[in-house]
Amino acid sequence: MTQPQPSATAIFYRNLRWLKFVDRFGRKGSQILEYIGGLAELLGEAFTGCFTRPFYSTEVLAQMDELGVKSLSITGITALFTGMVLALQTAYSLEAFGGKQFVGRVVALSLVRELGPVLTALMVGGRVGSGITAELGSMTVTEQVDALRSMAISPVRRLVVPRLIATIVMMPVLTAIADVLGILGGLGIAVLELQMTAQDYITSIWQQLVISDILSGLAKTLFFGLEIAAIGCYNGLHVEGGAASVGQATTRTVVFASIFVLVSDFFLTKLFLAI
Amino acid sequence: MSTIETATTSSHAAPGTKGETIVSFDNVWKRYSGKDILAGANLKILRGEVLCVLGPSGTGKSVTLRHINGLTQPDDGVVQVFGEAIAGLSEEELAPIRRRVAMLFQGGALFDSMNVEQNIAFPVTEHTDKSPDEVAAIVSEKLTMVGLPGIQRKMPSELSGGMRKRVALARSIALEPEIILYDEPTTGLDPVSSEKIAQLIVDLNVRLQTTSVVVTHDVVTARTVSDRVAFLYQGRFQFIGSFEEATRSGHPILQDYFRAMGFPCGTGVYQAVKGV
Repeated sequence: MTQPQPSATAIFYRNLRWLKFVDRFGRKGSQILEYIGGLAELLGEAFTGCFTRPFYSTEVLAQMDELGVKSLSITGITALFTGMVLALQTAYSLEAFGGKQFVGRVVALSLVRELGPVLTALMVGGRVGSGITAELGSMTVTEQVDALRSMAISPVRRLVVPRLIATIVMMPVLTAIADVLGILGGLGIAVLELQMTAQDYITSIWQQLVISDILSGLAKTLFFGLEIAAIGCYNGLHVEGGAASVGQATTRTVVFASIFVLVSDFFLTKLFLAI
Repeated sequence: MSTIETATTSSHAAPGTKGETIVSFDNVWKRYSGKDILAGANLKILRGEVLCVLGPSGTGKSVTLRHINGLTQPDDGVVQVFGEAIAGLSEEELAPIRRRVAMLFQGGALFDSMNVEQNIAFPVTEHTDKSPDEVAAIVSEKLTMVGLPGIQRKMPSELSGGMRKRVALARSIALEPEIILYDEPTTGLDPVSSEKIAQLIVDLNVRLQTTSVVVTHDVVTARTVSDRVAFLYQGRFQFIGSFEEATRSGHPILQDYFRAMGFPCGTGVYQAVKGV
């Protein structure tokens, strides 16, 4: 006896759970693609704005102060204590192998190649990215961005380009300062806790560190700066609704900026190691 | 030279003929979240008039206004401003039109980071090569026109709602536009401030020879300022004519609206009053 064929409706309902899953997955995917497309579009417009008139040089300087100089304390403290912790942990791990004299080079290399750029980017992403989104977001909900457009002034040129340039320029500067502070933190611990001489610590660094280590670390930060500012601006300009939406967009910026920094760090490291 | 004379003589380069069509909507459609906000709207705005767009909240009055300077693009239909179809134009292509069309936003939309002087000077320094002294003179003149002389150094946060709107109005007229778009200019203001703003709209319309489009749900303001009213309901302009005609029109929805706003219709008691 032959089994009756299941109807199309029955097949549909049997697979509904999977269909829902595929649907949700597809929606999420298209949202992500839409977001990345939007970011790319914004960056394209901003790129044109960087090379055509009008320029807002005073605004760029103001943003460099606001986003860069004022981030110095937070990135500096982070780097200083990271350097100190690194020195302690490295000495603890290497002591068993009698490798305490390598503390300097391990601290310096970790900081300059990896921790300096990434921690600075995460800190800047938290402070600057969220600040940009909150500012542009509240400008959007209070129609100030529309007011700019209605005056035939491009919000991208006036608001995005200065923040983008300021963040990209200031990121390597902040990172370079962070690198130095981190190494000094390590030096402090080496001398005070690990009974090393400053001479040994510095010589150990000097023997190991090469210019490409420093450059690859700093080059990464240009991309991090670009990502942070672009995400901050995009989320700010796309706020819809009221104050609550600004808060949500700000949180989203911190999360997205951190993820973008960490993921792109992997690929950039691969790239720079290959070059 | 008095402020009024300065304003009149320095008016627009090409004023055009009063009464000609300056903005037209031809079968304009706009859909938001699955709902047709504009559904085949037709409207002609004439040079030199004060047109009030009336209608209940959420019927697309502000959306209509935003179509005139291209802040919102129609899904279908034609919007012509100064005889040019603006649908589909890029931000850069829209710039020359936007310089001739100013907009007063509902909350004023003053830039928080700038003081009053910088706010008003902003469009002038962006679009002209005037010297700082000339710009300062323009700022002072426009502030006097809106009845707030000498507050150049104040920040927007130090101003009351009504003052903020007047400063925003001063900023809107800084480039001496041909059309001024007012988005709910009296909403959220006390009756005295509302009256001041309404008088100012009429006053500026005459002094600067502009065309004004006022979006409002406030019937009192509409009565004070309008040459014509356009009643927007269900995506279309159900009535276009003078305020007096509107009160006598016998249009059922319009009558309901006026009654809801405390204006009994059909009696002929309420005349359109222009306090110029």
